[in-house]
Amino acid sequence: MKVDKKETLRYLGYRGNTPDAKIEKLIQEVTEELERESLPKSVYREFPCEVVGNQVKIGPFSVESKHLSKNLHGCERAIILAATIGRSADLLIKKYSVINLAKATIVQAAGASAIENYVDEVEEEIRKNAEERGFYLRPRFSPGYGDFPLECQKEVFQLLECSKRIGITLTKGNLMMPTKSVTAVIGLTREKYQSCHQKNCSRCEKTDCEFREE
Amino acid sequence: MEFKERLGKEILFFDGAMGTMLQERGLQTGEIPELWNVTHEDIILDVHKLYLEAGCDIVKANTFGINPFKMEGTGYTCEELTKKGIALVKRAIAETGKKAYTALDIGSLGKLLEPLGELPFEDAYEAFKPVCIAGEQAGADLVLIETMNDTYEIKAAVLAAKENTNLPIVVTMVFDESGKLLTGADMEAAVAMLEGLRVDAIGLNCGFGPDVMKEFLPKLREVCSVPIVVNPNAGLPVVVDGKTCFHVGPEEFASIMTEIAEEGISVMGGCCGTTPAHIKALVESCKGKKPLKLFDKGRSVVSSYTHAVVLNERPKIIGERINPTGKSRLKQALRENDLEYIYKEALAQQDMGAHILDVNVGLPEIDEVEMMKSVLTGLQGITDLPLQIDTSDMVAMEQGMRLYNGKPLINSVNGKKESMDAVFPLVAKYGGMVVCLTLDENGIPETAEGRIEIAKRIIAEAERYGIHKKDLLMDTLCMTISTGQENAKITLDALDYVRNTLGVHTTLGVSNVSFGLPQRELVNTAFYTIALSRGLSAGIINPNSEKMMAAYHAYCALNASDVQCVDYINIYSQQADAPKKTSDKKEVTLYDAVVRGLIDSAYQAAKKELETREPLAVIDEDLIPALDKVGQGFEKKTVFLPQLLMSADAAKAGFDAIKEFLQAKGDASESKGTIVIATVKGDIHDIGKNIVKVLLENYGFDVIDLGKDVPPETVVETAKEHNVKLVGLSALMTTTVVNMETTIKMLKEELPDCKVMVGGAVLTQTYADMIGADFYSKDAMGSVRYANELFGV
Repeated sequence: MKVDKKETLRYLGYRGNTPDAKIEKLIQEVTEELERESLPKSVYREFPCEVVGNQVKIGPFSVESKHLSKNLHGCERAIILAATIGRSADLLIKKYSVINLAKATIVQAAGASAIENYVDEVEEEIRKNAEERGFYLRPRFSPGYGDFPLECQKEVFQLLECSKRIGITLTKGNLMMPTKSVTAVIGLTREKYQSCHQKNCSRCEKTDCEFREE
Repeated sequence: MEFKERLGKEILFFDGAMGTMLQERGLQTGEIPELWNVTHEDIILDVHKLYLEAGCDIVKANTFGINPFKMEGTGYTCEELTKKGIALVKRAIAETGKKAYTALDIGSLGKLLEPLGELPFEDAYEAFKPVCIAGEQAGADLVLIETMNDTYEIKAAVLAAKENTNLPIVVTMVFDESGKLLTGADMEAAVAMLEGLRVDAIGLNCGFGPDVMKEFLPKLREVCSVPIVVNPNAGLPVVVDGKTCFHVGPEEFASIMTEIAEEGISVMGGCCGTTPAHIKALVESCKGKKPLKLFDKGRSVVSSYTHAVVLNERPKIIGERINPTGKSRLKQALRENDLEYIYKEALAQQDMGAHILDVNVGLPEIDEVEMMKSVLTGLQGITDLPLQIDTSDMVAMEQGMRLYNGKPLINSVNGKKESMDAVFPLVAKYGGMVVCLTLDENGIPETAEGRIEIAKRIIAEAERYGIHKKDLLMDTLCMTISTGQENAKITLDALDYVRNTLGVHTTLGVSNVSFGLPQRELVNTAFYTIALSRGLSAGIINPNSEKMMAAYHAYCALNASDVQCVDYINIYSQQADAPKKTSDKKEVTLYDAVVRGLIDSAYQAAKKELETREPLAVIDEDLIPALDKVGQGFEKKTVFLPQLLMSADAAKAGFDAIKEFLQAKGDASESKGTIVIATVKGDIHDIGKNIVKVLLENYGFDVIDLGKDVPPETVVETAKEHNVKLVGLSALMTTTVVNMETTIKMLKEELPDCKVMVGGAVLTQTYADMIGADFYSKDAMGSVRYANELFGV
């Protein structure tokens, strides 16, 4: 698992600007500490997938969602995955919030980059395996995106035994702890033209976001 | 024969997987297996019988996932499912005519505990409690707490079992390839805590197959003095077609387990993927083997939630700074509930090289029990050092020991009967090393012999509670030489005898030796070095004192415990290169220090300015203009968030200097107004809110920070109580903006004149208008501007 400095800077609001040497050094220190202390772990399972109208069925899991059904349209199979970089980021944020708020904020940004990168790595492993079997991947889609209810986290967690296998737990409001964690659905399709690489931001409807990627 | 009588004397066999067997019999992914105790009891019964026929000695009841969180909405209570689960094992035993023990099987709650998560420790305890009670009532012979990956949760489960049943307790955990739990705890730390809690057996389960687990065993055996349990998977899980499979067959499993048996393991069985065939093969090849004879490893150890600190030839440092005696700034922090100050003290001591931190929060005017609970909980989220619970209030001591995630150091017990009667039962129950003061009903003996006599009595009395002398840390009481020149000699003679003849580790409150003398550090360092060479195991010192730390590092190099002087060279070769650091600082003005984000320089510069100027002038002419400059840069996007925050922290240090200055004069700092801020209910993201808080404080506002996941009622009550004009709310998720709206509505009903400003990732101006907010701030500076306007600054 690696932290992407460019992404870290984007989350910190630099938007193409270069930080000064002091901040640069701070980012370097924090990134190294985070990479050293993180324990990335993931778990995923593949199921048959069925989409009828807005109704999506992935193995034993079913949900009604217009956006997810659009995302999984034409997919025979789908993977449900969960990943985390562990508690390092949360602990470091807690610590630095007391003594160095700049560092705390950098951990926050670097942690966001770290988990995205780590999920990319896991996805790459999935992609290789899928391509061997003649499948292509759709962009990953997470509970809470569009009308894919966050409530579904509960079922995803049960299916993957997230807390037992990789140590992620759900709060009452269905948020994940440790916070630098991701759950997602990835559709597997035979048709190549349907798979396209999308920038993370293009899926989001908040077009005036400070951090939006061009 | 009872389970406990056989444990450790012969190899006992657990059964194998339940989940794997149920999946083969139709259990769907995501279905709750424990409900089958009621809906498919024949199948459960059948699986138990198969394992009994395979020859196991202990059958795990199908109760692993039973807890109030997982059973919610199933229509069943924890009690009935637990009782049913135990009854099915009992029935299987009766119907097969085999002899076996029934284990109440307890797994993780699937919730993260405070301070990182949202579940309070005592709530975790309450969740395990009904299962333990029902399990014993239904006739379980032992409690198996298994597949655990968080020591804190294990502690809650162990206490629930200990306090509500008389059953033996076995704990098995899941370590990852690096030999750590998911929480980062290593084996040594976990074992220290569990042996402290007096569990009956400790071991490993799940996660890996027997081959990998075998690699962990030498380490585990080195640190563990109680019987060891090994319940591996049938190899690593492989997912095929959405189904989890395991590839180590019965024979391979049994063959590696036979090698494991040679390691002296007391209890063996299987976890995920193992079947009756695996257990049968295991029993056939290992039955009759004897576990190695157990012996006490004699380790004197305390632990935190990540690691253990072992007392040995390398002396350890107990940081003394979190103790209000003689520290007015800490007293003030305690009175004002300013925990952040305490956390800073903790981190500073850790930075300087302390191994253990003393925590004493006793002040007559505060509720020590509550303060101990919140400081300990908070510190465990900030530092990974083991803590010393230092109090004379027995309730605070017990509550602290309960909430402590690890094996704590306790300060203290003494030779008075009353003290030993109160403290030793707690140590026997919760575990811990305990500082023993060599004084008794007659006071402090004036001779070394007198103190040694008391030490011997304390050792003997501890033994009666099953507390081995390895868990005692004898304090032969350091008193100032200014009132008796012999004092140091008496203390040291007693210390020497205790460590070298009685074989008990030692501690001293080192700095007491110089009380009443000038240049105390001179005497302290000399005394410290002598004490170390006479056998001081863990001195209580001020790690922020460079001279004391130098004495420490030099001593470790000299007594060869700092092997090849690695640490000494690391620390002091760097220092020689960096003397220019201090001269650098002097050049910087307060204004520049804040603009450039130099925390230490800002503090020093502010102190210097206060020698000649009024505090208000320093604020208005230096601090605020500097903050304004950085803030304007931020809004124009020439300064970015990290720089803004570095300046904010520097300004904060400047304000700290002013605060101290005013306090010394007996004045209070002036406030521009009070603002309540909170991250709304359901939301756990609080870094943005924390940034807003620091900036508002920089600009002179008093901020009441309610934290994260705050119910609307709490926001309204607090706003009412302090009669505030402005409330700031933060929410990051679309799903929690709903709670923001509710909070605003309630605020507007109860306090129509109170303004509400909002911020957070998903919010927009439109959204903010829609939910009735008075102001939407797109960043932290926006909130400062709005507050300044509103309060007419």
